[in-house]
Amino acid sequence: MKNLSLENLSKTYFDPYAGTTVNAVQDVSLNVAAGEFVAVVGPSGCGKTTILNMIAGFVPISGGRVLVGGKEVKGPGPDRGVVFQSFALFPWKTVAENVTFGPKMRGVGKAERAKIAEEYLALAGLSHAADRYPNELSGGMQQRVGVVRALANNPDVLLMDEPFASVDAQTRMTLQEELTRIWEERRPTVIFITHDVAEAVFLANRVVVLSKGNVLEEVDIDLPRPRSWDRLVEDGDFKGLSNKVLQLVRSA
Amino acid sequence: MAERMAFSPVPYTRRRRAVKFMLPLLGLVVIWQLVVVIFDVNPRIFPDVPTVLRAGWGTIADGSLLGHVTASLWRVTVGTVLAILLAVPLGILMGVSRGVSSFLSPLFRFFAVLAGIAWIPIATLWFGYGFGAITFVIFNAVFFVVAYNTLLGVSTIPMPIRHAAASLGTSRWQLLKEVLVPGALPNIVTGIRTGMGFAWRGLIAAEMIATNTGLGYMLFLARDFYRTEVIVFAMIIIGIIWLVLDRLLLAPLERATVERWGMVQRS
Ligand SMILES: Nc1ncnc2c1ncn2[C@@H]1O[C@H](COP(=O)(O)OP(=O)(O)OP(=O)(O)O)[C@@H](O)[C@H]1O
Ligand SMILES: [Mg+2]
Repeated sequence: MKNLSLENLSKTYFDPYAGTTVNAVQDVSLNVAAGEFVAVVGPSGCGKTTILNMIAGFVPISGGRVLVGGKEVKGPGPDRGVVFQSFALFPWKTVAENVTFGPKMRGVGKAERAKIAEEYLALAGLSHAADRYPNELSGGMQQRVGVVRALANNPDVLLMDEPFASVDAQTRMTLQEELTRIWEERRPTVIFITHDVAEAVFLANRVVVLSKGNVLEEVDIDLPRPRSWDRLVEDGDFKGLSNKVLQLVRSA
Repeated sequence: MAERMAFSPVPYTRRRRAVKFMLPLLGLVVIWQLVVVIFDVNPRIFPDVPTVLRAGWGTIADGSLLGHVTASLWRVTVGTVLAILLAVPLGILMGVSRGVSSFLSPLFRFFAVLAGIAWIPIATLWFGYGFGAITFVIFNAVFFVVAYNTLLGVSTIPMPIRHAAASLGTSRWQLLKEVLVPGALPNIVTGIRTGMGFAWRGLIAAEMIATNTGLGYMLFLARDFYRTEVIVFAMIIIGIIWLVLDRLLLAPLERATVERWGMVQRS
């Protein structure tokens, strides 16, 4: 795992139909330490997805730099694993093949891949579904696959854009608990984007609040770990932090 | 649905599906016989069922049917296989580059419409009568439809899937092999199915004009001798061969891959 830094990151979109430009992200600087879990929240349209897509290399950067472990990144690469809101699993590959896709691309052999599949499917509680196809799984199961598919490739940084937004509330809480457990076990560097303030506070070490393409404020979350909803739902500190972040988002 | 499938043994379901499929066709045969008998139809206009069966048996016994069927199937196979081998790589190549695809896709749409029998006259000028001209017509019918569908398949692979592949470290070649080809497969299979449908129709038409063997020629020849019963028999064979090809070859291909992946709806 490595640290991630954004230096004066900016993005200007050009709308060819209206002939106007949109400053989606303006001069954002952020340091994420190796093994840190940072959540990014902010109102719709404040530039969260744009920032993540620039880090992932999916959209060109208009200004500034993205550094992973001190090295500037250009374009997408396996050093930055991505978990997508729409899961983006490969429908033509089984669950095990999806999970070992990254290693396969690196030339990892069959036997080694079988071990990786076993390990990561166990981590996601999906050992029984190894040979099924994604369309045979529930949304929650699909996103578990999405998470371990990214992790199994040993990225330096894990990028997640509202990964749990399209599953039901019950499943979402389970997935959040599983993600904290996995994070506590493996300590990946994570940038996690969400609309959901409680989710951000529950998961992160630090919550970054964005407003109109700028960092409005950063809030440290020093709640003890391991975290579970059973304990936190009534926890005064959790409620206090959630309220604080919510106020910031609403003022953004 | 899945549970019901699990409880009914496969052979039983399959036989029932076959029966359900055959029943209307058998009904048609019954009506045909009744109409011919009741209205005492002139056999030149439309013969009754036994006459057609007898004529059919004759063409089987003297080996002429086998010769025509073999000729037709051979042409379809060669034309289709050649077309697929060229169309899929080209379609993918076009799909990889947006510039190329937007430039070529109007052309492909144009030729996809034109594909098939419209090429017969010029094909006979280029290749003379026989195998070359007919295979060319079939090639045309399949090629443009498959190429266009492949292009469509590649260019409609969702962006997140491409992004996922890129951030998992795929090289260009791996992207092609692991993402673009399988991602486009539903469309490729659809293209092959429609293309072969065109090809089969085109083949019959081409064989009426440009050869002296094959099912189309069999129809044409029988007409010259006023052998309506042979014409009707040949028409039935043409229909049956297509149904068998489609149901036993193309549909299972679709089921084995893309339906299992949930990429198309079960038909
Ligand atoms: N491809 C694009 N072309 C033009 N403008 C864009 C494009 N993508 C995003 N924008 C604009 O950039 C701004 C930021 O968008 P972005 O998707 O990053 O917001 P977001 O914070 O992720 O929103 P949400 O919470 O709704 O997902 C918005 O004003 C949006 O309209
Ligand atoms: Mg977004």
